[in-house]
Amino acid sequence: MTKLNVVLTLALVVGALLLVKTSHDARRLFTALDRAQGEERALEAERQRLDAERQAAATNLRVERLARERLTMRVATPAITRYVNDEASGVAP
Amino acid sequence: MKTWPRVATRARGGAVPRRVTYATSPLLASRTPPWRSRFAVAIVGCAFALLVGRAIYIQIVGTDFYLKQGEMRYTARWDVPAGRGRILDRHGALLAGSVLAPSVWVSPKAFSADRAAKREFAKLLGLGNAELDKRLAENPNFVWLAKQVDENVAARIYALQLAGVHLERQYRRRYPEGEAAAHIVGFTNDDQLGQEGIELAFQNDLQGYIGTRSVVRDRFGRVIEDAADSVTPIDGRDVELAIDSKVQFFAYQRVRDAVAEHKAKAGSVVVIDVKTGEVLALANYPSFNPAVRLNMSGDQLRNRALTDTFEPGSTMKPFIAAWAIESGRVTPASVIPTAPGRITIGGSTISDAHPHGDLTVAEVIQKSSNVGTVKMAMQMSPREMWDLYTQVGLGQKPQLQFPGAVSGRLRPPKTWRPIEQATMSYGYGLSVSLLQLARAYTVFARDGELIPVTMTKSPTPVAGLPVLSSATARAVREMLQAAAADGGTAPKAQAMGYTVGGKTGTALKQEGKGYADKKFRAWFVGLAPVKDPRIVVAVMVDEPGNGKYYGGDVAAPVFSQIVQQTLRMLGVTPDLDVRPQIVAKDGAVDESF
Repeated sequence: MTKLNVVLTLALVVGALLLVKTSHDARRLFTALDRAQGEERALEAERQRLDAERQAAATNLRVERLARERLTMRVATPAITRYVNDEASGVAP
Repeated sequence: MKTWPRVATRARGGAVPRRVTYATSPLLASRTPPWRSRFAVAIVGCAFALLVGRAIYIQIVGTDFYLKQGEMRYTARWDVPAGRGRILDRHGALLAGSVLAPSVWVSPKAFSADRAAKREFAKLLGLGNAELDKRLAENPNFVWLAKQVDENVAARIYALQLAGVHLERQYRRRYPEGEAAAHIVGFTNDDQLGQEGIELAFQNDLQGYIGTRSVVRDRFGRVIEDAADSVTPIDGRDVELAIDSKVQFFAYQRVRDAVAEHKAKAGSVVVIDVKTGEVLALANYPSFNPAVRLNMSGDQLRNRALTDTFEPGSTMKPFIAAWAIESGRVTPASVIPTAPGRITIGGSTISDAHPHGDLTVAEVIQKSSNVGTVKMAMQMSPREMWDLYTQVGLGQKPQLQFPGAVSGRLRPPKTWRPIEQATMSYGYGLSVSLLQLARAYTVFARDGELIPVTMTKSPTPVAGLPVLSSATARAVREMLQAAAADGGTAPKAQAMGYTVGGKTGTALKQEGKGYADKKFRAWFVGLAPVKDPRIVVAVMVDEPGNGKYYGGDVAAPVFSQIVQQTLRMLGVTPDLDVRPQIVAKDGAVDESF
């Protein structure tokens, strides 16, 4: 009888300690998750900002101006375009 | 003290040993009356009963109140804003998107900062020190200091770690295409609610659903656990428009240049893909920057292509000719005498700008003869004409998911007097918006079908409502091509590499009840390529004031440039021979390898 009691007491103590450890782990992991989620939100916001910035840097207005001024390109017209058919591709017209 | 000697004396006097038996204290010697212990038990019992009662009250009766009080002490709850959806063009380019722009508020009671930090704080907010103090004095508990600051400014404010200063997560809209697409995209207010354009039309889709987050905090205020009743926010849906931002930009640029060149008041362009009914571009000038909405006037804000109506003038003539052919009254080659360039109906005289002699139906359209058109129209009943105009969408609101589209004006046929029927045949006495006009022309472009137009991306071919036979539509297309050819009213509409057909319109502007003196409106609506049309383009320039005011001089060149660029961007093969200007070195030396 005493033996059983000792075993049960030990089991109880171990269980209690495990419970403490588990709940500590749970909180630790939760904090980590929470931080990671916060980071995700921040990165998402950053992505959107960069997206908008990229688009702002690549507006048609800017692209056209740079193409014309820096790269001295001009707008293509049918007169300076050679059209190639799919069937005839690879064969010079 | 006095009693002890007496006890001792008695002990000394008796046979008891000389010892003091304290246990024989007389106080203890007397028997405890039973009521006393019962009383004690009762008191303790009552106390227990009180505790049990209190426990029952707390656990059962007042449980809600206490649970709530407890929760208030360890849980926190706040709204999580949902991200607003983006507005994209047909190729996925961003037309409107949200970026984080926190707002700064402060609780002046809790605010504390040393001088340097406070100066820095004021500088970041763009305020003077005195101004900041004034703002802080407004309310001891809550003052907005700045709404929607840039994210890096917010980060620097956060880094100052000032007591009592708070940042609230908010978003701001960015519009990378700016003025070019302003009228389509529209804008939102500070609370991210759509106010104009697509932002307003698709408010429900874009908005999303805000969520809430409730958490358990420890005594330091750290979040340790999610409470069960958190609601995840649902971000708004992205809206994909039919607009092609390149076409849109080009159209905006051209109309802006045309307005500047002709010292006009305003201008609009509509480009419709006739295969799918998608609006590829819809531009107005003057425009505005949707991100900076200070001091905007109604002139800038108005989406003229949809909201401004005008008398369509000569652009109605092809419909009359088409119906005359369709109903078997004439053929394109039938000759109509228009001499002497005047016709009198009900006492009023209608005349041509230049008198012509006998004209075929095709030539009536090409030369834009009022008299010829009236002669065809007067063979029809008012009801017939009204049916025709209604079938091509005039006098009705276009079925478009867009705020502010107007229906124009088309009076019921019963009220038409003969002279009115005559003037309506060449486009006076009714009014249309530029978009309605462009859509009406899809009847010719689509071999007789009127197609629904859409602002959102729907790249599948669309079915239309048959109005004319395809033979008639093709015949009218040829007339339109002739009108845009040399000898027609708008040779400047011709585009390099592509056949075009279209009709000009020029009219004195209506002002009040009559017509304004020397205030014109010039427009052109046409299609290209003529054989198998891909786009319908309508251009309108309001009050050109630089000497030229005919649609053929003012609007047709804009049409030409837009057609050429748009068809090239859509990858449509040119159907006209172009003298190639490609400089290729024939007989180049073979590369050795």
